[in-house]
Amino acid sequence: MTKSTRSRALKTAVGLLLAGTVTANAQDVVIWGGFPELTGYYERVAESLSGKYPDLNVIVEPIGLRDHEKRVALGLSSGLDDATILELIGSTANRYIVNDLIQPAPKGVSTFVNDDSNFEAFFQETAKVNGKVYGVPVFRGQGALFYNTDMLAAAGLEGPPTTMDEYDEYAAKLTQRDADGNPTVSGWSLRLSGGGGGIAEKFWINLHQYGGTLLEKDGDNYRAGYANEHGLAALKQYVDAVSGVKTVTVEMPADAAAFQREQTAMFIRESWVIGDTAKKAPDLNYKTAVLPRGSIALPVNLYVSGGSDEAQAAAWDFAIAANEPEHLIWMLDNVGWLPNRSGVDYSGVVAAKPQFGAFVDLPEDYVFFTLPSIEPINEILTRFAAHLVDAYADESLVGNDSAMLEVLKASAEETNKILNRAGILAN
Amino acid sequence: MLRRKQFWFAIMAILPTFAIFGWVRLFPIIETLRLSMHEWNLLSKNKPFVGFQNFIELFSDNQFMDALTNTAVIAFGAMAVTIPMSMVLAAIIYHRTRSRFSGFYETAVFIPHVVSLVPAAMAWKWIFDAKLGPLNAIIMGLGGDALPWLFDPVLSVICIIFLVSWQTLGYGVLIYLVGFRNLPKSVFEAAQLDGANGFQSFLYMSVPLLKPITLYVSVVTLISGFNVYAQAYVLASDTQGAPGRQVRVLVLDMLENSFQNFRVGYAAAEAVILLSIVLLLTMIQFGLLRGKGGR
Amino acid sequence: MSAKARARRTNFLLDVTLFVICILLLTPLILLIANGFKTPQEMLVWPPTLFPKDPTLENFHKVFTETPLLQWMLNSFLFALLSTVAIVATSALAGYIVGKFPFRAINIIFILFLATAIIPFEVYMIPLYFQVKALGLLNSVGGLLVGYLVMSFGIFLIRQNVIASIPDELLEAARIDGAGELWIFWYVVLPLLRGPLAALAVLAFFQAWTAFAWPIIVMTRKKSFTIEVGLANFQSAYTVDLSLLSAASAAVMVPSVLAFVLLRRNFVEGIAASGMKE
Repeated sequence: MTKSTRSRALKTAVGLLLAGTVTANAQDVVIWGGFPELTGYYERVAESLSGKYPDLNVIVEPIGLRDHEKRVALGLSSGLDDATILELIGSTANRYIVNDLIQPAPKGVSTFVNDDSNFEAFFQETAKVNGKVYGVPVFRGQGALFYNTDMLAAAGLEGPPTTMDEYDEYAAKLTQRDADGNPTVSGWSLRLSGGGGGIAEKFWINLHQYGGTLLEKDGDNYRAGYANEHGLAALKQYVDAVSGVKTVTVEMPADAAAFQREQTAMFIRESWVIGDTAKKAPDLNYKTAVLPRGSIALPVNLYVSGGSDEAQAAAWDFAIAANEPEHLIWMLDNVGWLPNRSGVDYSGVVAAKPQFGAFVDLPEDYVFFTLPSIEPINEILTRFAAHLVDAYADESLVGNDSAMLEVLKASAEETNKILNRAGILAN
Repeated sequence: MLRRKQFWFAIMAILPTFAIFGWVRLFPIIETLRLSMHEWNLLSKNKPFVGFQNFIELFSDNQFMDALTNTAVIAFGAMAVTIPMSMVLAAIIYHRTRSRFSGFYETAVFIPHVVSLVPAAMAWKWIFDAKLGPLNAIIMGLGGDALPWLFDPVLSVICIIFLVSWQTLGYGVLIYLVGFRNLPKSVFEAAQLDGANGFQSFLYMSVPLLKPITLYVSVVTLISGFNVYAQAYVLASDTQGAPGRQVRVLVLDMLENSFQNFRVGYAAAEAVILLSIVLLLTMIQFGLLRGKGGR
Repeated sequence: MSAKARARRTNFLLDVTLFVICILLLTPLILLIANGFKTPQEMLVWPPTLFPKDPTLENFHKVFTETPLLQWMLNSFLFALLSTVAIVATSALAGYIVGKFPFRAINIIFILFLATAIIPFEVYMIPLYFQVKALGLLNSVGGLLVGYLVMSFGIFLIRQNVIASIPDELLEAARIDGAGELWIFWYVVLPLLRGPLAALAVLAFFQAWTAFAWPIIVMTRKKSFTIEVGLANFQSAYTVDLSLLSAASAAVMVPSVLAFVLLRRNFVEGIAASGMKE
């Protein structure tokens, strides 16, 4: 090989190795999100800023939620090169904030967030740690009841159930059975299996309707709050449905897909189901209803880290622009996630898609709860879920209140042990 | 003198590879395992030393014990399915090398090994479906009862063995095919002259001659069996409204402990136990399959 | 029945058996490809239809126009190719050494090699990530490659094949003739390892092609994604767009099958080379 061909080969090799390398630009702002369906929304916001920042280059990089959380952990702990907007659930961001990996928001942003005409106290709190604003609220996941109106009419039921007793009553009437009495269409689809945390989270939603809570807050500490009459009522409902009156079974298809296929009459889920159903089952006749007492709310905020001061300022401007009413209305209409900002008029969207009503037009006394910002939250949910899965399918528990209470007590003991290990157990 | 020269050649020749290993495998692994005696939440600057506390906790942790049992059953199950099946399948494909379909056979068997799991899992969920799946249809056709494949604690483990075997079969067949093709042909011609039929020469000549390859396939399937986790994850996820029981396996438990429960030290302790168990099993495999050339 | 006719009948039965097995193994993939041609409504049908009632090319159109699928494939291809070269080179030499030089130090090194395969990469990749970051190699093929330069199972595979098919006598004869150790490796050992090396190339290539956990943390820009990371983009927070994902996976299968068929030819030809040894 001659010298010149060798050096050319070397250059090509180096070129290949660096292929795909991205060079940072002063005006680059990267958005790391865990909700790929929001890409269009961020792109719209970026476009609206092009007048103010002609050189601004917004790069939207969403990925699945689990992978997103992992990359944020690695990115923040090793430092981010570009100014990066991080889309994080408040409780997740808390970990980084207490470890000094996310800095407080600048003054203008904090004024915007603290303005009561912009956000209700519940959402302001999720963006703050120790009274300081770190992020800008954007949207939330929230539950409501979805019900199939044709099935309700066929069962002679009018309007959605409004108390937990009515939920049972409706479930019994709505269940369709074959000649042997085995359910073929579940009356009320419940989360009975699958990946751990979700099972406990869904249980918590039902528990909340009975006035209970999974974790009781006491000052800065927590204790298991479900080994009592509220927890018993919620567990009883599940055990009865699965192993008693059998309005649903573990093997039955569940969740949004089952609802869209008309394999279940009712289920509780977030607002994204509306857009999903429009795509997959446009002819389905269904409505939504608020839950008896209140719902879970998982607020997602935008945080900023890394990059030059100039790029960071642009990133914060972006987070505020993302809260412009026109973008929020677009998000609700096209993506189906619920914006957190107050005073925005969604009536146009609700008129066209009435199912959004149960998510945005809420009763005065509707009570929200959210997952507490504590490190072992996932572990607590996963381990509790393991007990629940076994209990749901245990026929010997039917009608045996004291045995069910034992199950809850044993699990609560485990929960408290985890809290204790993390040093946050309330006595 | 000659031996000395050979020794230094061997050391010099293996040094570059060993150096890379040191950098990209040994260093990060030791960094990680070291944490098994510490407590660390992935972010904090201090990593307090806790001695054997993580290990002590592990042995009273039901979830970990459950994961350990499931993983061991899956690894041995997948090995028991993969080794004989891939050896026989490779033998038949090798026998039909001259067939115009041989390319198709090899490709068809191998492709499941390289397809992404998430979209393929939907087909598997349908196969295992309690009401409408072909698997239960066959069982009922044979007069049996439909089984809740994805929900029963035992059956859901079997489902994972199915899925893992489907993926590793192609790997085993590929390795065995190379083994068959490298066998000395003269020995077989001699056996044929002595009147041995195809089956006899497979059993009495190929199987023993392929011992080193069998050792390879068994070690690799066992180690990868202990590393399963994506398979357990996709079968439990609820895409298409068809969830399944979450079978806890070791790697899933480790990843959950480090990235979701933020207990990196605890996960590292699990890794130490995984390493000790599998290393021991591998040594046993090497011992069992020792023999002529079976080092 | 003559021996020839009997052989033909046996061969026919074997072909039928193989066909049935192959079709069974391919069923999940046939369904996957079919899903790529389905509308979202038909996707919802349970049990799934094996052949789309109302086939559409919409998913493929969307996948190719809305995502840089070809760019991702190219990134994966480059990464897989470089990784294959590195792994085949290191494994060939190291596998031969651990197979034919049974010194205590070498055996210990081999055990270390093998032991590193027991702990899954996902568990220990964080310290390596920090190194790659410090080297400024994030978002580059070089950074990806750091995790995929060597393969324990590759060294092990070559070792076992060296033991199974290269007799000590052959090496001794060459040494007596005064051949140097490197010469023996290059001119005696390597030609005999063509089949196993080609198989290793297949395994290394697809290991990189299907890698997920490492690329997803090293490559954070959509443009630099590998194909498997790109596919993960079809999952939204709580649902998966299965028809798009299936279409994309089906499209990705085309180069996979091509790569396998091309590489396979090499280890079939391997017979001719290894046939020389008797």
